[in-house]
Amino acid sequence: MAHHDDQDLLPTPGQRVGTFLKRKDVSQTFVLGIFFTAVFVVLGLWVYPHWMPNVMSKEMQGNEDIMIWFTVISAPIAGVVLAIAMESFINMHRGDTPPPEDGPGIKTHGPVVVIWSAVSVLFTIVAIVWGITEMNTWSSDALAGSNNALVVDVTGSQWNWSFNYPAQGITSHELNLPINQPVEFRVISADVNHSFWPVQLGVKVDANRLSTTIARTTPDKLGVFDVKCAELCGLNHAYMETAGHVESVADFNNWVSQAKATGGTQQ
Amino acid sequence: MASTTASKSKTALGAVVAIALGIAVVAGVGVELHAHSYLNAPTETATINGTITAPDGKSYPHAFITDGLYADPIDSKAHGACATCDGGHPTWPSYGPFTHFVLPAHAYVTVTMHVYDGGEKLNSPYFANVVGTVGGTMNVDGKDVASLAPDGVQHTFTIHGLPTETQDPLFVNIPMPKTGDGGQDQAGSPLPKGHVVTFSFITGGKGNYVWNCEYPCGDTTYQGFGAVMGSQGYMSGKVTVL
Amino acid sequence: MTTLSHKPASARPIPNPERSLITRLNMGTGTVVGILFAVITYYLLRHHFGSPWRVNHGMDMTNTHFVNVTILCTMFAWSFGFLVGIGALIGPFRWLIGKDLTAEEQLYLAGDGQGIKRYFKYCTDHKVVGIQYLVGVMVMLGVGGTMAMMIRTNLATPGSHFIAPIIYNSLVGLHGITMIIAMIIVSTGPFGNYIMPIMIGAADMAFPRLNALSWWVLFTAIPVLCSAWFLGGIPTGWTAYAPLSDQAGPGMNAFLATIIIFALSTAVAGMNITTTVVAMRAKGMKWNRVPIFVVGATISVALAIPAFPTFMVAMIQTGLDRTISTGFYDANVGGSGWLYANLFWIMGHPEVYVILIPGVAALMEIAPVFVRKPLFSYGAAIAGFAGIAGLSVLVWAHHMYMSGWMPNLNGPFMITTEFISVPTGLLFLVLVGTLWRGKPWMKMPMLSVYAFIWDFLIGGITGIYLSDVPADNYLHGSMFVTAHFHYTLMGAALTGAIGALAFWFPKMTGRMLNDRGSYISFWLIQIGFNVLFLGMFMAGAAGQPRRVADYAQAFAHANLISTIGAYSVGLGMIVLLWAIIHSWRSGVIAPMNPWGSKTLEWTVPYPVPLVNFDEPPVVTSDPYNYGRSAK
Repeated sequence: MAHHDDQDLLPTPGQRVGTFLKRKDVSQTFVLGIFFTAVFVVLGLWVYPHWMPNVMSKEMQGNEDIMIWFTVISAPIAGVVLAIAMESFINMHRGDTPPPEDGPGIKTHGPVVVIWSAVSVLFTIVAIVWGITEMNTWSSDALAGSNNALVVDVTGSQWNWSFNYPAQGITSHELNLPINQPVEFRVISADVNHSFWPVQLGVKVDANRLSTTIARTTPDKLGVFDVKCAELCGLNHAYMETAGHVESVADFNNWVSQAKATGGTQQ
Repeated sequence: MASTTASKSKTALGAVVAIALGIAVVAGVGVELHAHSYLNAPTETATINGTITAPDGKSYPHAFITDGLYADPIDSKAHGACATCDGGHPTWPSYGPFTHFVLPAHAYVTVTMHVYDGGEKLNSPYFANVVGTVGGTMNVDGKDVASLAPDGVQHTFTIHGLPTETQDPLFVNIPMPKTGDGGQDQAGSPLPKGHVVTFSFITGGKGNYVWNCEYPCGDTTYQGFGAVMGSQGYMSGKVTVL
Repeated sequence: MTTLSHKPASARPIPNPERSLITRLNMGTGTVVGILFAVITYYLLRHHFGSPWRVNHGMDMTNTHFVNVTILCTMFAWSFGFLVGIGALIGPFRWLIGKDLTAEEQLYLAGDGQGIKRYFKYCTDHKVVGIQYLVGVMVMLGVGGTMAMMIRTNLATPGSHFIAPIIYNSLVGLHGITMIIAMIIVSTGPFGNYIMPIMIGAADMAFPRLNALSWWVLFTAIPVLCSAWFLGGIPTGWTAYAPLSDQAGPGMNAFLATIIIFALSTAVAGMNITTTVVAMRAKGMKWNRVPIFVVGATISVALAIPAFPTFMVAMIQTGLDRTISTGFYDANVGGSGWLYANLFWIMGHPEVYVILIPGVAALMEIAPVFVRKPLFSYGAAIAGFAGIAGLSVLVWAHHMYMSGWMPNLNGPFMITTEFISVPTGLLFLVLVGTLWRGKPWMKMPMLSVYAFIWDFLIGGITGIYLSDVPADNYLHGSMFVTAHFHYTLMGAALTGAIGALAFWFPKMTGRMLNDRGSYISFWLIQIGFNVLFLGMFMAGAAGQPRRVADYAQAFAHANLISTIGAYSVGLGMIVLLWAIIHSWRSGVIAPMNPWGSKTLEWTVPYPVPLVNFDEPPVVTSDPYNYGRSAK
């Protein structure tokens, strides 16, 4: 397919946009762009929520929202890049001999570079603002809940978790929490680095030796969640997991008294 | 310069042979690694003897497991209980002779351990508690206890597993009491007299679990969890519920 | 020091290859002396400390610190001994007595007329070093790739039935470090050495002897790394986090020694490349006419020079902890694991750009040639590389968002990290701008450009999620991270390197890379790669942690898909290996400039003469002046 006389990348003031869009390579790219953008939008809106587990806290919801919406926002960029690449790919010159003539000698195009960079910076700022706002929300939620937070001392040791509830005077190997109660995890390690990850609660913090780290959340949905170790800690790292339950306040209190009855340890 | 049909098929044959060779090399590495996995994992299948009624009122088949815990291969050899003393490390403590236990599902399992090592302090005092047994206790030399002092433990036997939809959870923690000073045990070992620890728990449905010790006996390593603790066949193993 | 003259080859006297010490030294003598030094050191230390494997009845536990000292010293003795035995230290030894190598000796070292033997000697010809690096990289990729096949086979089903967790953990850590080292050198090693000096019109590199040194130092690290398997493996990932690395068994010493040796090799190579490009460009090759691959390789190694020493320091401190209980990373005595994490990631983040930039730059070299258009906005490409390199030293703690080290710094690091997407975006602009309105000649190097665009786009977008602190609460330490960095390190950097190999194969071997074999391998690799890591994104998004030998049933589906993709990649790599070896031995003889490229390396014949050019070239324009109305 021969290209016609050199045209600018963007229509000059005298040219109508229509003529530009009618050019074969532009129209092909445009259609491909719509297609790829749609793929990424679907990926964000449908695939991620489908893959990600149960949302059991505001923080987890926020994480899911970021995955969804960052994908959707990136979709047009992905669309443009992939469309240009695909259009170029399907219009290839095949064969063992090189193409008979060169392409247009376009060395650069100032406006395109400027616009591209500006859009990049804009997306970056959107992502930063979103992230900082989210972080601030989490901090103020944590602050608001800190007065009556349920404190759980989480100890990671090679290769099991144990949970101590100082206010209730019990320890256990499973993490049970009452619903809608802010909880403050004070995490420490008895040996090497571990990472405390109550998956469906959307928070995570490493367990370090002799330095307590904090994670805060408020579980807002009943059900089971997983507590996993997210930092390779040796031989049985893969098995350093335990179950957690978000239960009603009554069930939680029952569980506490049962544990107290067996010497302060959940059986 | 154009290749003939004959040389084209020669090339293709060469390609197939070379690719098959490459696959064979990779497969060979795999076979070798597989053979080295779970070495020194002598297996004990629980023996079932009658039934027993549990505190929950239900009746279960009663299964039995016996194993030992030794301070080093000399000790375990003296008791005729080698898991790793041939070809294993010359000074490391070890459970033995078995490190892989096969248990029946929905059974009342009673485990008897003969334990002979000394001990010090746990890294995480939680594991000085008996957890997951029938009645929440273990029997040490005839006496029921629910926990030990955190510095009175020689090793632990801790069963745990991945929480997953296809199997029931199983968590058991038994702190083994350390041996004291003085006395000699029956086999003439120079080590102090050991203890007999008995505990029972009820298995759920089929599943794959692991067990490991939670006591830091890897001397001269960080927090005592290196060396023997980080090797297979001594202080860790598998529990299969069938 | 004598410089090589530019007299035509026929007029130069060929050195009389008298049998002297230098002519007798090679890889074989190096190995012998290396083993000798290692054995002597081992027995000396064993005599002092007692056998690491001593049987001592009763309560006496073997002291692991003595074991670590013995093993580390033995490994360094091997490396040093090898360098002595291959003749790397003859020059410095002569300096001690006020002399240097004679002109004849230096010409001998350049390897002229020695045939295939020179590849097994301390040869200073940059072309020989380039081929040595190429073979070394291929070996490392083969070893690392085999480990990957083991990993994926074990993860095909839950239960870790194929391989025990202890061996699996070693596989993960050793696969990681082998591949990271291979990726660091995959483009700058073979092509930065062989092609780059010719590309800038130079006769060799600035420091030819250091060039040979950088390769042979790296070579000594390879057996050291492999010895980890015989010493019990490693319990850590390739990041060797402390204090788990303090706690680890004897195999960890192999890892430490490898890194320390490797950092030396990289520092030497980095200095060499930077000096060469700054000081030895041909007349007329102003900075705005330097080929983009040269720019990229230079920026990459310039970034490596400040970065890798911190890794070396982190490893030295781990070594000190493991031998004389310094406690750098032991909180019980006032140390901290966070110290290690910071030192590591101050290296670790620039390092991923060290890996990425040469691969992209090679593709930017390829695209104009095959699209027959100028590189779109050379200035934007420079700005992209420079921006990435500059920002990359400011972002390291995004790997530590969840560590609890300094939560107040999470915000600032998030800002710097997000901004890296701006110069990265410029790289995409340059590539798609070059594609735009062109009619690309579809050969293997050009295919790699398309694969890169797809792979790096996904890698980049998933990187944006990870850079967001709240989302990282979920994603950190999950398989999502693993999939992201494979898309960037493998999908971008390795794809770029494979494209570069297909592109420069005619100049490095004199033959064309077999088309059918490379196309088959390309599709097997790329399709398999995407199946493999898209499946891994699925598992990670569902909540599977990384570096686990076993996982819950919920992840079984995604893992099986990943494993199937992995087998396709493995098969594709074997096909590619076949294509390379077959073509090298009996491929179609290549013309001098099969692609119609305008860079200097295509103006010299194969075999490339010892000093590359009969007369130093003079450059009058940039190498991308394609186009019907080029300025």
